[in-house]
Amino acid sequence: MHELSIAHRLVDRAVETARDADADQIDRLSVALGEATHVAADQLRFCLDAAVVDTPADGATVDIERVPPAGRCGCGWSGEPRRLDATIAAPNRRCPECGERIELTAGDDCRLTQIETS
Amino acid sequence: MTANRTHLLPVEPSEDCLRSANPSRIPTPIGTGVRSHTGRPTRIRWFRAHQSVWSTCCSRWQPTRTDQPATTTPWWLARRRAHRFGHGDQEHGDDGSGTDGVLAAVRERAREVHARLGHQHDVCAVEFVGSTGGGKTALAERLIDRWDCRVGVICGDVAGEDDARRYREHGVPVVNVTTGRECHLDPQRIDDALDTLDLEDLDTLVIENVGNMVCPADFPLGATVRLLVVSPTEGDDVVRKHPLLFQSVDAAVVNKVDIADAVGADTDRMVADAAEVAPDLPVFRTSVETGRGIENLAAMLQTHREHGHHHA
Repeated sequence: MHELSIAHRLVDRAVETARDADADQIDRLSVALGEATHVAADQLRFCLDAAVVDTPADGATVDIERVPPAGRCGCGWSGEPRRLDATIAAPNRRCPECGERIELTAGDDCRLTQIETS
Repeated sequence: MTANRTHLLPVEPSEDCLRSANPSRIPTPIGTGVRSHTGRPTRIRWFRAHQSVWSTCCSRWQPTRTDQPATTTPWWLARRRAHRFGHGDQEHGDDGSGTDGVLAAVRERAREVHARLGHQHDVCAVEFVGSTGGGKTALAERLIDRWDCRVGVICGDVAGEDDARRYREHGVPVVNVTTGRECHLDPQRIDDALDTLDLEDLDTLVIENVGNMVCPADFPLGATVRLLVVSPTEGDDVVRKHPLLFQSVDAAVVNKVDIADAVGADTDRMVADAAEVAPDLPVFRTSVETGRGIENLAAMLQTHREHGHHHA
């Protein structure tokens, strides 16, 4: 349900950037979507299609790239954490090296990576 | 532009241009190709570039077309450009603390709310999050009755005044936030609600989120302590089903332990699952009916109150 508000924020950012660059139209929006979030790619795409209507991004192609979680630990370990189990995309937050809790460094955001304008 | 002239457009940005915008990063093309957005093929080169540096896709020189209306940009001047946004891991080290993305911006907003509450007004905010019917309101009511300090409440629901009415019976100021379509509170709504409370007159703020185990994981509110309340009636597999929410909180409560046997739920499993999903997460077993565990929970919150802590 919060995909729509996220979509609006992404489109706002894109339109602002295009305006700063004196571009009239946005042809493509590229979004990096973390897997360790509750944002669903299909719903986000649907909401972006709705959010661009009557903006300079109207009709833009939407690319969504899934970003796997990455983490690091105080012990020096960093990398892609294991998953909790096969059915859940959530990262295992226990460090594979020392067993302490790891911090996520990627995969927990939803970010506009690129727009193409004309 | 005069018709029938030949105009030369850059094929790609000069390296100097990219260097001057970001001298530390020498651009490397990561791909080339021909792309057509508008039916006209365009030669492009992609650059992995820093924020504010555009990678580019420009045409080679093109002859003027004379059939173009004079009032519009000639098609060969309508340059298609790509604007790349910075990567959090490049701009902010690899700490993931960038505000580039939408959810990172929400976390940043939550940090501002936290600063307003904790640093400017010395208010300890306890957020209760969990599914509808888990006992968030009852647990908060029990704590409000115990606390010997000035308490305020912000309660969120999709609709209705039911929780707000219950809190008001405890004689505390209450802001009821009905979210309408949204399935969670967000830091902006909290900030707006704070405008209607006299923060100088508060020591502790209870924030009750909308009953939801999914979306709040992506939307921290800036509370001093985020407390997740689950109960055996949700099934003793509730923890494994909601790992991201458990990973987003500071402490968890398995409430209603007095009825676990009646609904066939294994609270040991719930506690063990929490330890696996969110290492080092403090987990309390409570019952608002019998009073079990309330004292331990109150002591933990008191510790947070004295030392301050923020989970974003």
